[in-house]
Amino acid sequence: MMSGARLLVGPFNRVEGDLEVTLDVAEGRVRAARVNSPLFRGFERMLLGKGAMDALTITPRICGICSISQSAAAARTLAAAGGITPAPEGEKAAALLHAVENVADHMTHFNLFFMPDFARADYAGQGWHARAVARFTAMTGTGLHAAIEARARLLHIVGLLGGKWPHTMAIQPGGVTRAPTMRDKLRMQAGLRAFRAYLEAQMFGAPLEDFVALDSITALERWTTGDVALFLEIAATAGLADMGRGAGRYLSFGAYPGPEGHAFAAGLWVNGAPALLDPAAITEDLSHAWMLGRTAHPAAGETVPDAAMRAPGYSWCKAPRLGGLPFETGALARQVVDGHPLARALATEGGVRARVIGRLLEIARTQGIMEQLVAGMIPEACFMADWTAPQEGTGAGLVEAARGALGHWCRIEGGRIVSYQIIAPTTWNFSPRDVQGVPGPLEAALVGAEVRAGEETPLAVQHIVRSFDPCMVCTVH
Amino acid sequence: MSQIETFYDVMRRQGITRRSFIKYCSLTASALGLGPAFVPKIAHAMETKPRTPVIWVHGLECTCCSESFIRSAHPLAKDVVLSMISLDYDDTLMAAAGHAAEEAMRDTIERYKGQYILAVEGNPPLNEDGMFCISGGKPFVEKLRYAARDAKAIISWGACASYGCVQAAKPNPTRATPVHKVITDKPIIKVPGCPPIAEVMTGVITYMLTFDRLPELDRQGRPAMFYGQRIHDKCYRRPHFDAGQFVEAWDDENARKGYCLYKMGCKGPTTYNACSTVRWNEGVSFPIQSGHGCIGCSEDGFWDQGSFYDRVTDLTQFGVEANADRVGMAAAGVVGGAVAVHAAISALKAAQKKTQSQASKEEA
Repeated sequence: MMSGARLLVGPFNRVEGDLEVTLDVAEGRVRAARVNSPLFRGFERMLLGKGAMDALTITPRICGICSISQSAAAARTLAAAGGITPAPEGEKAAALLHAVENVADHMTHFNLFFMPDFARADYAGQGWHARAVARFTAMTGTGLHAAIEARARLLHIVGLLGGKWPHTMAIQPGGVTRAPTMRDKLRMQAGLRAFRAYLEAQMFGAPLEDFVALDSITALERWTTGDVALFLEIAATAGLADMGRGAGRYLSFGAYPGPEGHAFAAGLWVNGAPALLDPAAITEDLSHAWMLGRTAHPAAGETVPDAAMRAPGYSWCKAPRLGGLPFETGALARQVVDGHPLARALATEGGVRARVIGRLLEIARTQGIMEQLVAGMIPEACFMADWTAPQEGTGAGLVEAARGALGHWCRIEGGRIVSYQIIAPTTWNFSPRDVQGVPGPLEAALVGAEVRAGEETPLAVQHIVRSFDPCMVCTVH
Repeated sequence: MSQIETFYDVMRRQGITRRSFIKYCSLTASALGLGPAFVPKIAHAMETKPRTPVIWVHGLECTCCSESFIRSAHPLAKDVVLSMISLDYDDTLMAAAGHAAEEAMRDTIERYKGQYILAVEGNPPLNEDGMFCISGGKPFVEKLRYAARDAKAIISWGACASYGCVQAAKPNPTRATPVHKVITDKPIIKVPGCPPIAEVMTGVITYMLTFDRLPELDRQGRPAMFYGQRIHDKCYRRPHFDAGQFVEAWDDENARKGYCLYKMGCKGPTTYNACSTVRWNEGVSFPIQSGHGCIGCSEDGFWDQGSFYDRVTDLTQFGVEANADRVGMAAAGVVGGAVAVHAAISALKAAQKKTQSQASKEEA
């Protein structure tokens, strides 16, 4: 690769939605990266003037793979605006729906989006290549088929509680629309047992509790079973631990709220130490987005696209910042903030391997959470509090989607939506530069990535991009 | 003849046994509402017809259609259909990346000129010369036109491709436009829903691949076999509607008893789709079964028909039948569904003519 070259990479497949990355390359390394989210639909504008409750139906359509996350955030936003407290059992059922979707998304990412890269001819000659081909070749690998089937069965739980997936409508500000029967409960328990069996036979190849008990990178590297071991072997030879390292700043809004608090804690992790999350310190910087207006907190923000697409804008994506700094969000961030020892050990590593292990760790831990939620279900309890649609008020709904922190902020007047702003996880991760010129987390993580001679779509860049599990349709909505 | 790869060859290559193949043919026949006599016909077609390539492209959308598709009910059906269409080009699921992927699409188009089916998920936004959806450095609408030019037929997956869906909701900031408003010279089959049911998607595609023609369409261009009846017609809560027993508030006593959700804003009485028969997530349930009304996602413009939680106002309890029949007058002709479908097996060309004449009728 000549020095000083510029490379436009994209469109990316096996990411959800459209994405382009411009790379400045010198001496075989990425010097600077600019991420463009080339798809804009204008949800925040469509919501204006609609009845408050319609947010429950419209916002999930932002994304077909994390629609329950959007639905949960909308329900919490409306609940906050209307002073509604969900029925405790309903809140737990909503948490279960959400957990199932997040785990299903992690399954899709690992098996369908991330691992197929290692079945490519570029890696022929590696000791593990034949196994990666058999297991993870796109659309035909044995691992893919097993995962799709296990995932579809897991989603029966959403079918039972929510009627359909994607675009489930069961989650409401006051709880959920369906009170599960004892029969539903037994079917869900059977479904979770089947899913655990898949995880323990194939993905982890051992009891999940053994994986959850890992407390250091040394212990992790001694794991020898399942797809996880294959991934670790690949990570070791392909240098995934040091590839695409982040800045070590992690954000989590807290996952699965319940009457006793979040199952995974809310908070920040900055420079190797925990910190409190203050949502009031969030801003959206528009300096490098094709958006008109000024930097503002989302409760006071607006979304006015600049149709002229003027420089220095280079993306439809706004740049969310917390206390003026970019933050990485996702499964790794959630597990780090929640204080899992393995995740904390991986927090400083913070590269491709850490992000993937963060997700696998979360699958193993969430299985336990889902089992507890179902076991604790009381069919005869009330699943929906008494409530009416909010007429006046402001509210925020902060949840954790599979890909990280998702926030909705709304203002309602006369029963109508007069302001609605959404910051999705990939908006954080794939944000463009801010007014200080500070790049977003992906842009920063790409700096230093290897670009081999003749590579049009550098492998390292693809691994790094996919390690974030981007959801581009959520990013810009 | 011998060097042309058939569906059957492809399936066998993908490791599907003869036994599974025959089972699949029976499943398909029943899913499509065809009698057992059609099983050998389907089998024969698949053994002798060359495989039809499929190109699957994504515009403004949320990928929920793909998500639905990969969760098809019968694992066998899903495996077979996936191996059969083998998605010569699909930018979400395929192995190749970046420019190699774009080349794969060009190759497929060149190699199978006039032979392939184009499946479109999402739609093109036309405002600002299409700049709101850029794929491969070009507006998606250009990719769509390019891919459509040599396609044999087009499937519009979901409400986005069929009607515009959520991004076309007022004020439609990007001027998101359904496929049939952009491509006007090809037979287009609409498979609306947000998303469509997986089995409906595999059913439609199997039908087209097996019989090399479009299934019978209703006046809106939807396959009549799946969109011929209202949710309301086959809803398991229908007896409660007829008895005047309604849910009055979420999770009230009536909700627990499974009463009708009409007063909670259910759009089942005006929505044509297969949810209440085929159901969702491998037949587990459907929205009404989860206690939430139908939002009418397979109907044109369902986003801008007032709140999803307002009851359907142009219906009165006793006038329902008359009104609904009027709504679906054209579709009512094919409520008999299956019979009409294979009685009038029309070649693709004929279907094309019909779609066009219907389109011009609607415009007139």
